[in-house]
Amino acid sequence: MQLRTRIAVTFLALLGVVIGAALLVVSYASHRNAELEVKHQFEVGGKVLERVLESNRRLLTNAAQVLALDYGFREAVGTNDAATIASALENNGTRIGARLVELVSLDGKVIAATGPDAAAGTVFAHQALLEHAGATEHRETIAVERGHVYQLVMVPVRLPLPVAWIVMGFAIDDASVHELASVTGLDVTLALNRGGAWRAAASSLDPAAAAGALAHLGNAGAERNADVVVYTRTLETDAATPVTVVLSRSLEAVRAQFAALRNLLIGIALASLTLTAVAAFWLARNITRPLQVLTTAIESIRGGRYDTPFSLKRRDELGVLAEGLEHMQHAVESRDRDIRTLAYTDRLTDLMNRTAFTEALAQALAAREQPIAVAIINLRRFRRINECLGYAVGDEVLRQIALRLGDGPKLSVALARLGADQFAAVTPLGPGASVEYWGTQLLERLVQPVLVSTQQIDISAVVGLASAPRDASDADELLRAADLAVESARRDNRGLKVYDATLRVATREQLSLLGELQRAIDAHELALAFQPKLKLGTGELVGAEALVRWRHPTRGLLMPSAFIPFAEQTGFIRKLTRWALREGARIASSWAEDGEPLNVSVNMSADDLADPGLDQYLRQTLSETRLPGHLLTLELTESGFIGEPTQALARLELLKTLGIKLSIDDFGTGYSSLSYLTRMPVDELKIDRSFVIAIAGSPQATAVVQAAIEMGHSLGLSVVAEGIEDKGTAADLAALGCDVGQGYVYAKPLFLEDFVAWRRAHDAATARIEVVAPSETVVRRLRAGRRNSSAG
Amino acid sequence: MIHRRIAVAVIACSALATAAEALTIQVRDQGQPAADVVVALDPLDASVPPSAGRATIDQVSKRFVPHISVVRTGTSVDFPNSDQIRHQVYSFSPAKPFTLKLYAGRSAPPVVFDHPGLVLLGCNIHDTMVGFVAVVDTPYFGRTAADGSLAVSAPAGRYRLRIWHPDLAAPVPARTLTLPGDGPTVTVDIKRNAAPAGVAPWLD
Repeated sequence: MQLRTRIAVTFLALLGVVIGAALLVVSYASHRNAELEVKHQFEVGGKVLERVLESNRRLLTNAAQVLALDYGFREAVGTNDAATIASALENNGTRIGARLVELVSLDGKVIAATGPDAAAGTVFAHQALLEHAGATEHRETIAVERGHVYQLVMVPVRLPLPVAWIVMGFAIDDASVHELASVTGLDVTLALNRGGAWRAAASSLDPAAAAGALAHLGNAGAERNADVVVYTRTLETDAATPVTVVLSRSLEAVRAQFAALRNLLIGIALASLTLTAVAAFWLARNITRPLQVLTTAIESIRGGRYDTPFSLKRRDELGVLAEGLEHMQHAVESRDRDIRTLAYTDRLTDLMNRTAFTEALAQALAAREQPIAVAIINLRRFRRINECLGYAVGDEVLRQIALRLGDGPKLSVALARLGADQFAAVTPLGPGASVEYWGTQLLERLVQPVLVSTQQIDISAVVGLASAPRDASDADELLRAADLAVESARRDNRGLKVYDATLRVATREQLSLLGELQRAIDAHELALAFQPKLKLGTGELVGAEALVRWRHPTRGLLMPSAFIPFAEQTGFIRKLTRWALREGARIASSWAEDGEPLNVSVNMSADDLADPGLDQYLRQTLSETRLPGHLLTLELTESGFIGEPTQALARLELLKTLGIKLSIDDFGTGYSSLSYLTRMPVDELKIDRSFVIAIAGSPQATAVVQAAIEMGHSLGLSVVAEGIEDKGTAADLAALGCDVGQGYVYAKPLFLEDFVAWRRAHDAATARIEVVAPSETVVRRLRAGRRNSSAG
Repeated sequence: MIHRRIAVAVIACSALATAAEALTIQVRDQGQPAADVVVALDPLDASVPPSAGRATIDQVSKRFVPHISVVRTGTSVDFPNSDQIRHQVYSFSPAKPFTLKLYAGRSAPPVVFDHPGLVLLGCNIHDTMVGFVAVVDTPYFGRTAADGSLAVSAPAGRYRLRIWHPDLAAPVPARTLTLPGDGPTVTVDIKRNAAPAGVAPWLD
């Protein structure tokens, strides 16, 4: 229910209840009053009736007595002067208006009479009156004479003893009844009972109404008028015909006056209800209309519009409310703007954030009129900038990159930093425009080093490209495609990669492979391949690196790069590593039992180092395979220590207590600081293959490798070079002092049987580096080094 | 006292006329002596000439005294008024209708009761005043005394005995007496109403 209606209804209901109660009380009171009044009227009427009868009786008695005492009359009676008697009777009767005057002898004969209902010589009609006349002076009765009702009085005529009766009577007829009615204010009906049925002898009512009143006496056949109340008084009569005076009153008439009062009240009630209704509605409107205005305004605020005027010019609470809401609206608007800015802006670069960019991209796609290209730009090794130079510098680098991408001729319609060092750009592709060209343009802007407060910082960007509608049709898919492309570029060490469908297929394959990995372990589809590690100077076999291979039932042989990265992402790598450890340990143990012990290296990923159960597992594995710890080497990448260096160090110490050896893999590609390196309980350093490959003809690479070798030696570590592909490089490395070599030049990774066969066939002598002179570069390098050392 | 003397005088006068037989009439009302009962003996064998006697009916305390009188036809009755108030004595009885004008003391003229019969006396002023005068055509009459007896002297012969009282419940039938045969005492039983409805009829 609306507030307005509710207010009005409440008001009206309240008033209605009050008025209803008042009406009820008045109605009850008037009803009761009507009854009381009628009752009172009846009492009064009854008294009046009695008084009238009494007064009549006295009048009659007096008149009769006067006559009886009149000496002349007595003389006439005494002398039987009939004519005189008759005239005296008539005279006296007329004097008081008596209808009936008779002189009746003591033995009941009418001596003389006047009046229509009497005749001389007849037998007196009311013999019963005579019977108990006795000594009584006079008597009275109500008598019925020929259907007329009389009030009779009898007075004896004494000469001096009673000799006759004067009977004098008034007729109680319509006239007298009307008079009575007018005195009492009641309707008067004189009822005669003849044979059980009442008949109106006289009445102030019309015959029908009289019949209605008489019905109250129990007349059969007559309909009782419920609206009429009656009061009956049976009169004393001499005869067998009972005479009853029926006083009646129509309640309707009595109630009419109360009804008038009630009607007036109802009128007042209706008027006040109407007024109240109008007032209530007006008041309610006055309240609810501004509320509606406010509600509408609030609705529009909810809808995000903040320009709704709260134009309530009121001085009351609603006015204050409107003012408050107006202020609130402005506050909400400004906060909303801030939130919007925060939500859609990258605070660091003031570019869009991922959310904003996705929306912008979606909009561009929706309004697409030409192909849309998306680029995701990553920085290589940005983490290293943060670590080495601090976050402030890193942030400044990101800001400058953002500036560069957005500066000058616009290359993109939307530019965003999606997170960390990842940027994204979107552009429509005009006819004939090439995605690669656009990507190259973007990349070119990130070639120059970034200058942060005079410090020059090299940056290297990787760009992944995808375009709609060729690669995807919605924003998420398109971004994902660009993402796959940039990941691929990063993996392949390329600066730019355009998405192609094979990337997605590969991804899909990898994902499904991942699901099969668990089964692969159980079904022994995984196998270790071993690549020998040889002492560079002597060609002596000093160890083998165990590498996981998957003999997939349908896809054939799968290299680790096909499944390891995804195993790392899903955490499955821990299981895989445990399997490789146990398998490697088992094989190494069997070699040791055969009297041909050989150290086996197993690769650990960063996630493995975080595995709290690893040392326990290793301990168990060593004891179960009865493998001496020194025959097992764990190869760790530098990235393994970076997340939680202290914890990683503690874990390494723990592993070291098992007697196993630790090796740092891919040395030079990570970002580990030298301080970590000195504190790590490692035994071996493996120089990354990229440096090994690069030394051919590169003095710089040669210098780096030499430095790494020297540093390793100075820390007491054995230095291993991996990825040696030709004998020249091997000779160079040997000349530089590298201890151990590993690579295709000796053997590719071999499955167990092949490796065993290779080992058997391996002739250390033949494997020894032939007398090949080191390259010019190395020789020059070594000379320079000796000069320096001799100079130092 | 006065009326008794008068009665005795009347009887004495009659006795002087003839030699008489003594007769006592004893009237009883339900065994009790009945006083003031009118007794008349009408001679059946001889006629008695009228006699102009005198009698008095006084009015004392709004009463006729005596209340009941018996007189011989032709008796002239005085109606003295002993009250301080005035009376208007009247009678509408057929035997002697008369009216004495309103009077006091002895101013009223005597009334001669010249016809036999019962005369009711009334006062026009005082309705309660009622008197009876029995007018008889015989010298042998009287009222019973307090002991209910009346002594009468009458010559031997046959008589009609009439007994009357206004309160009689039923008329006492006349009876014939023979003197001296039925004497010397005749007892008559009557019955009177305590609250009479009217006046007992007079036997003519």
